[in-house]
Amino acid sequence: MRSLVLGLVLGGLLGLYLGWFQFPRDAYRGDMTELAQSFRDDYAVMIAAGYAADGDLPGALDRLSRLRIDDIPRYVQQLTDRVIASSARDIRDIRLLVALARGLGRLTPAMEPFLDLRGGGR
Amino acid sequence: MGRELPPPAWITPQPPPPQRELEEPRPQSFFSYGFFSFALAVGLVLGLGLSWALGPLPERNTEPFQLKREDRNHYLIAIALEYEHSGNLHRALEKLVALRPLGDPLQALADAACELASSDYINSESGVKALRMAARMYTAQGRGGCAEPLLPAEDLPDKPAAASDPAAPLPSPTAPPTKTPSRRASRATATLRAVATSVPQRTFSPLPASTFCDTANRAVIEVKIVDYLGRGIPGQRIRVRWGDEENVFLSGLKPERGTGYADFQMDEEISYSIDMPGASDPLRADLITGRCYTESGRESLKSFRVTFRADS
Repeated sequence: MRSLVLGLVLGGLLGLYLGWFQFPRDAYRGDMTELAQSFRDDYAVMIAAGYAADGDLPGALDRLSRLRIDDIPRYVQQLTDRVIASSARDIRDIRLLVALARGLGRLTPAMEPFLDLRGGGR
Repeated sequence: MGRELPPPAWITPQPPPPQRELEEPRPQSFFSYGFFSFALAVGLVLGLGLSWALGPLPERNTEPFQLKREDRNHYLIAIALEYEHSGNLHRALEKLVALRPLGDPLQALADAACELASSDYINSESGVKALRMAARMYTAQGRGGCAEPLLPAEDLPDKPAAASDPAAPLPSPTAPPTKTPSRRASRATATLRAVATSVPQRTFSPLPASTFCDTANRAVIEVKIVDYLGRGIPGQRIRVRWGDEENVFLSGLKPERGTGYADFQMDEEISYSIDMPGASDPLRADLITGRCYTESGRESLKSFRVTFRADS
């Protein structure tokens, strides 16, 4: 009897540890909030491209809300500033983000040169 | 009578017989390794099941292909949005393939649009616009789904904002490296159905096939679809025909072999022709496998490497 109890307790603890930390359940149930930074950036750029295509600002906000960000305009501003500062992305992507930031009323001095490069804007 | 003599030296004295232990029962051990092992295994299974059922998702850098179905669908639509603006089919297909769909990546987009069109997503104007863009993308590539009939008729002009779009007048938009059938033309059509009638251009040319002999890859046609710079292009349809049968498959579904890679398993004594439907002429020579010998002298079946290169 003692062997059974001891085995069950130790096996259960070991199973919990392995299942919780070492081999957690498959991550095919992840959501947008868990996306790696680069893919979050990528998603935002794609939404900015959609905004550039259809000019639908509420639609862009709705799509970005899937990232579950409290202040989306601020997020777009920070992302755009970060991308400009790091030169991490293609200039076309930067222009798209700048256009979206501008649409959201979050144009910063760092973004202005990218508006000029396009030869003006709205 | 004389004295008793001691035994000779070569006679070994016998040890005393051992005490028999059966006389008293051995006391029972309080620990059984058999029971313990069994219970350990049961506990392990229970613990794993419990943690997988209730445990939290790990905090980690999720990739798009790991997204749950709903978010994955929205990510697919975002790819179509970007394509609508850039017209860069190569980039869009790379992103679709990175989602690791089970089959055709463009059909995965059509299926996602279908699911969203069947949900509340279609109730908003933004949702309708996004689904239209997705439908434009996949119908232009010859795919279809249930979303098109669910979408309301498109009023022209659909996109007044595009003309005043601050990001639209890029000096040199990226030209699609692959067939570019009708994205622009589709905007002038009254309904989405007209888009599917576009005829893809023949934009790829087959290079002469080469053969190789490998015991690990017997009788395989390895296909690469590349642009004019030799970079792989995913999501391109490849057709292999033999007799009255054919098989159409896509490049890029084995990303570990390259973005433009695909392969096909041959049978012996069958002649195969290969082309890209609607995008290239067939390879001039038919492919027939046969016996070959590797450099180490091992017998195998001949395999082929075929490359289709974009003309420009």
